[in-house]
Amino acid sequence: MKETKCEIVRRELEELKLTDECSVGATQHLRDCADCREFHQRQTKLRQIVGSLGTVEAPPDFDFRLRARLANESPAGGFHLRSMQWSFASKGFAVAAAALLFVVGVVYFKNIVSLKQRATNEVAEQRNQPGQPAPRPVEPRPVVRDETPAIALNNTETGPSRVKAGERRVTARARSLVAVDSSSERAIVLSNSQPYSMIFPIDASLQSFKVSLDDGRGNARTISVPTLTFGSQRLVPVATQFPPKNVW
Amino acid sequence: MNTLTTIDELAFAPPLQQEVLEDTTSDHALLEATRTGDEDAFAELVSRYRNQITSYIYRMTSDYDNAVDLAQETFVRVYRARDRYQRSYAFSTYIYRIATNLAISELRKRKRRKLVSLTGFFQPSDGGEPQELNPPDTRPLQDSELVDAERRNAVQRAIGTLPEKYRAPLILRDVDGRSYDEIARILETSEGTVKSRISRARGFLREKMRAYL
Repeated sequence: MKETKCEIVRRELEELKLTDECSVGATQHLRDCADCREFHQRQTKLRQIVGSLGTVEAPPDFDFRLRARLANESPAGGFHLRSMQWSFASKGFAVAAAALLFVVGVVYFKNIVSLKQRATNEVAEQRNQPGQPAPRPVEPRPVVRDETPAIALNNTETGPSRVKAGERRVTARARSLVAVDSSSERAIVLSNSQPYSMIFPIDASLQSFKVSLDDGRGNARTISVPTLTFGSQRLVPVATQFPPKNVW
Repeated sequence: MNTLTTIDELAFAPPLQQEVLEDTTSDHALLEATRTGDEDAFAELVSRYRNQITSYIYRMTSDYDNAVDLAQETFVRVYRARDRYQRSYAFSTYIYRIATNLAISELRKRKRRKLVSLTGFFQPSDGGEPQELNPPDTRPLQDSELVDAERRNAVQRAIGTLPEKYRAPLILRDVDGRSYDEIARILETSEGTVKSRISRARGFLREKMRAYL
């Protein structure tokens, strides 16, 4: 019974503030119970010591440091403001860059168009000059099977007169039209019975003549034709002087 | 019998509206002003609580520099969350809760770091509570102020050895003098638990401070 009373009183003493006074019943019990009285004295002293710790003051630069820290932070408001400013600037840059690109593009396109037109006009004027034969209109050449040998195709220098830049461009374009796609066609089959002279226009040069043939199945053969001789006499009288082509 | 000459002579009670008006210097009002961009209001809040919060965290962590850092972090968090603040409880409860969480988080971090402690060498072999290295100073004391200072240091060290769940309610009650109800709200627990923990904490302290009592 006494222990129960002591527990109740001690609990009451625990919950009291230092400045509060305990109840009449607790006061009476403390007068009678030495243990509880000692407990109360030690408890009060301990709480006084703990309470004497007091408040530790913040350093004088606390506010300054806090402001600096808040400024370094990226709170929603500040960040939003900065992003708004940045977006305005970026919008301006984007518009200026787009306008500049557009102007440069237009100028470049105009230059190209005018260059082309000038070249075409020059060609037309040259052709329309009196005393010169009227130029034949450039017709698109039909796509034909290219039966001429590669030697003939390689001979691009057709005449002694030099053509102008514009004409060269036109010629180059015309040449591109005669390109033949013969990849799907079968190669010409040559028989041994036919003489080479019927097939190849052979120049009587000192160099050996080489022709590469493909049978259409990926098997390539290279035929090397040596310099033609009749007996011990060469057709070519002097090694450095070549006879005219196709003259035996 | 006096005759009233003007309406001003009537002794009206002060208008009711003045009583209804909220005190513009209350914590809630200051935070509300902070929310609208009034930095002076936030500065006022800081000046009201900076010492309390720094002191509280210092008692919890026993490290002044760390306490200042954590106190600043507390205010930064308050500022960041100013739009989410709810007025359902006192601002002091709110800010102390943030400070408590930060302090406990710091104590747990320290525990994880497992720093080699000199007090570990003085841990009893039977697995009991570790004893503080507190060799008796036999030199004569100069005056009572020194005695008090020494006693305060001893208390601070003793509080530092308490488990964190006992430390926070004891400091809030016996150092800061807060009510059980408020402590319960700060620590987000029941009042009964708070009372029980404070009682246990005092029991620990009594044992540790026997020489001073």
